[in-house]
Amino acid sequence: MTNSITEFDDADMFLVIGSNTTAQHPMIGMRIINAKERGAKLLLIDPREIQLAGFADLHLRQNIGTDVAVLNGLMNIIIEEDLYDKEFVEKRTEGFDQLKSIIGRYTPRVVEQISGISAHDLETAARMYSTADKAMIVYCMGITQHTTGTDNVKSCANLAMLTGHIGRPSTGVNPLRGQNNVQGACDMGALPNVFSGYQAVTDPANKKKFEEAWGVQGLDDKVGLTITDMITAARKGEVKALYVMGENPMMSDPDTTHVEQAISNLEFLVVQDIFLSETAMKADVVLPAASFAEKDGTFSNTERRVQLLKKAVPPPGLAKADWEIISEVSRLSGYPMNYRSSADIMKEINALTPSYAGITYARLEKCHGLQWPCPNEEHPGTAFLHKDRFSKGLGTFLPCDFKPLAEVPDAEYDFVLTTGRIYYHYHTGTMTRRISILEREAPEPFVEINPDDAKRLGIRSNDMVELTSRRGSIKAKAEVTPRVPRKVVFSTFHFHEAPVNLITNSAFDPISKIPEYKGCAVNVRRCV
Amino acid sequence: MKTIAKEKVKELLRSWTKEYQVVVPTKTIQGDCLFDTFQEDSFTLDYGKPSLPPKSFFLPHSDVLFSVEKNEFREVVSAQKNILFGIRSCDMMGLLQATSFMTRDREDIYYKAKKDAALTVVMACPGPQNETCFCTTTLSGPVAQKGFDLLFYDLGDAFLIETGSQKGKDLLTSDLVADMKEATAGKKIEAFKQKAVQAIPLVNEVNEAMNRLKDGSVEEGVWDYFGGKCIICGGCAFVCPTCTCFNVDDYPSAPGKGIRTRAWDACLYGGFTREASGHNPRATQASRVKRRHEHKLRYFNKTDIQEGLCGCVGCGRCSDFCPVHIGTLEVVKRIAAK
Repeated sequence: MTNSITEFDDADMFLVIGSNTTAQHPMIGMRIINAKERGAKLLLIDPREIQLAGFADLHLRQNIGTDVAVLNGLMNIIIEEDLYDKEFVEKRTEGFDQLKSIIGRYTPRVVEQISGISAHDLETAARMYSTADKAMIVYCMGITQHTTGTDNVKSCANLAMLTGHIGRPSTGVNPLRGQNNVQGACDMGALPNVFSGYQAVTDPANKKKFEEAWGVQGLDDKVGLTITDMITAARKGEVKALYVMGENPMMSDPDTTHVEQAISNLEFLVVQDIFLSETAMKADVVLPAASFAEKDGTFSNTERRVQLLKKAVPPPGLAKADWEIISEVSRLSGYPMNYRSSADIMKEINALTPSYAGITYARLEKCHGLQWPCPNEEHPGTAFLHKDRFSKGLGTFLPCDFKPLAEVPDAEYDFVLTTGRIYYHYHTGTMTRRISILEREAPEPFVEINPDDAKRLGIRSNDMVELTSRRGSIKAKAEVTPRVPRKVVFSTFHFHEAPVNLITNSAFDPISKIPEYKGCAVNVRRCV
Repeated sequence: MKTIAKEKVKELLRSWTKEYQVVVPTKTIQGDCLFDTFQEDSFTLDYGKPSLPPKSFFLPHSDVLFSVEKNEFREVVSAQKNILFGIRSCDMMGLLQATSFMTRDREDIYYKAKKDAALTVVMACPGPQNETCFCTTTLSGPVAQKGFDLLFYDLGDAFLIETGSQKGKDLLTSDLVADMKEATAGKKIEAFKQKAVQAIPLVNEVNEAMNRLKDGSVEEGVWDYFGGKCIICGGCAFVCPTCTCFNVDDYPSAPGKGIRTRAWDACLYGGFTREASGHNPRATQASRVKRRHEHKLRYFNKTDIQEGLCGCVGCGRCSDFCPVHIGTLEVVKRIAAK
């Protein structure tokens, strides 16, 4: 997030796109609900009628995968009606002319054709967002999990820059992180292209700095593989061993048959997890890890806030904290790591990661966390980014053209399947499906289908239906509901009984490599 | 009547730790306040209204009921000798109500064992602890009427101590405690009560809402409004001193071993009332929110309320903590306004 969670309380307007906020980030969703009650505006862009739809001043239900067109359409109107922030565009950005030329093609009529959103609604939306004083864009996986995920994100950023809704409190572009520490994992360089703090591995100065700190020579200066690449490479036999920590690709990655072939093709698979997940069952070695309550350390949350975590109970059996397991594996592999505690590791992070330099355990003990960048021990942390200047100087507009879903419906596969999550379960259910109350609330897989489609296909709620894509089939109970538009079905990837990723499309974004979980073509039939 | 100088309270608490686990208001390093085991450096007398009521000492968030090993069944009834020091009057009433419910027609042995092993030391409130306190309306404060073993009144640099039981009296044998004449003490207590009661304003909407619920004149729109924004966290039930619902579940703990546990539940969850057929008599969130508030304000059991007004003890925690402001105060005010 460019901005902070508490800043929701002071915003005048929210543009929520591709985020079921009350279900997936309820503590942020509640701030939006409360803000509505004090008079803030809510513009929701989402194909499904989620809980926030009941609070929206305007709910635009776009055809799945048309976000770039919709965002371009908003910018087209804002430029056309002269509602953009000229001072901000002039002083803080570059590339406006190029933006204008591409956006010019996305007139309300054109966008209506592509997205199904009426030109009138689009105009109202454009005026709402651009004329607000402090407007926040909130997005989540509905934006990123597309073959055009990067384009979607760029378009959100273009819109915020065009209207000057960035670099001030209660504005900005705010991707909501889906996990307690996915921000922290990225910050620590658990990415193929960077060391901690997003220091590029390709930069010789960074390479030298880390070689000196770690007392080694010849750190790899080439960008590695993303998870999507690894699976493909494993399938081809180019990757021979995989060490998986806290991930469950057998459930979470698209096109499970393809993943299974890749994993079976490995010579060696190690899985480090707190439970024996579907992936762990296929491993040669399973390393038992401690859960969040059984270890010390820090988590870095969606607003870049680093918070201290303290062990509440000792880990069971042979389980150890991840850092202890990694240190041990490293020692046995011939490179001793001599950390005595997670605090020791934090000292190294402070020394090598400029944005974390001032985030010490001593400070974290005394407060409710610090937000990076926090370059020194006197620095209070940073509530919002891009004040006065962007990290690269001027903000560059990066306009994108609309591209359709990688797999659009046709005569044979006539529905779009979009996947997501529900309130009660977390990802592949490794943890939440072991919790009795959560399991009671949501015990089985389901498929949401629109009443008109259901009627045509003779489907009633609780009937078993079969979804079939080019990659396979799953069966689950139908929930007939207007929450989904016509010709769209929705399901989740929480349930091994109907593993939806058996049928999702593994086509991915060329830059971020994220798969298109949010849209693939399927057909639907009632099971007899 | 007894008194103790404020600076000697720590010593008194320390003396109790020989025989009891003493649970006291505690300030964390981040400044939060909670009830925790007595420790000299984190103990505080400046604590207002702790975030959670003391019910978890009697009904833990999760509790083992029995274990099975090699086909042998073993009931687990655990209790520890506790002194709960410094609980508020509203929480004392909450405990009385919860205890009545848990023991009235069929004794909940797991709860009762813990309750029987515990002593309660109430700290009378000289005024509201924050803006959501309404114990004067619910007849549950600011001074506890019964149920306590000891009751402390803050007199500035000393506490006046009223005893409520023989066990309580036995806690005061130490020479840290001095005597005060009954007549003098009585006057001081009277003055304290008068001042305290005046300082906590009555919330007439509570009575108004109770009446409207009783005569069926509450519009459904009220519940649709609250149901529409409820994010189903169940937090209102968890912070409520009188909510005691739980769900029972069996877990395998190791090969050949298993435990039956119970854990807090909340009527805000759909599965709480869903029947085996799949039918749910409380099908919408609006109907669940309605049911919760009807239970507190209308369908309470007369015995269980222990001379209070209703099934709500006016602690205001649901209003303090509900992320989307669906506390008793917000609900009664909306009902009364319509």
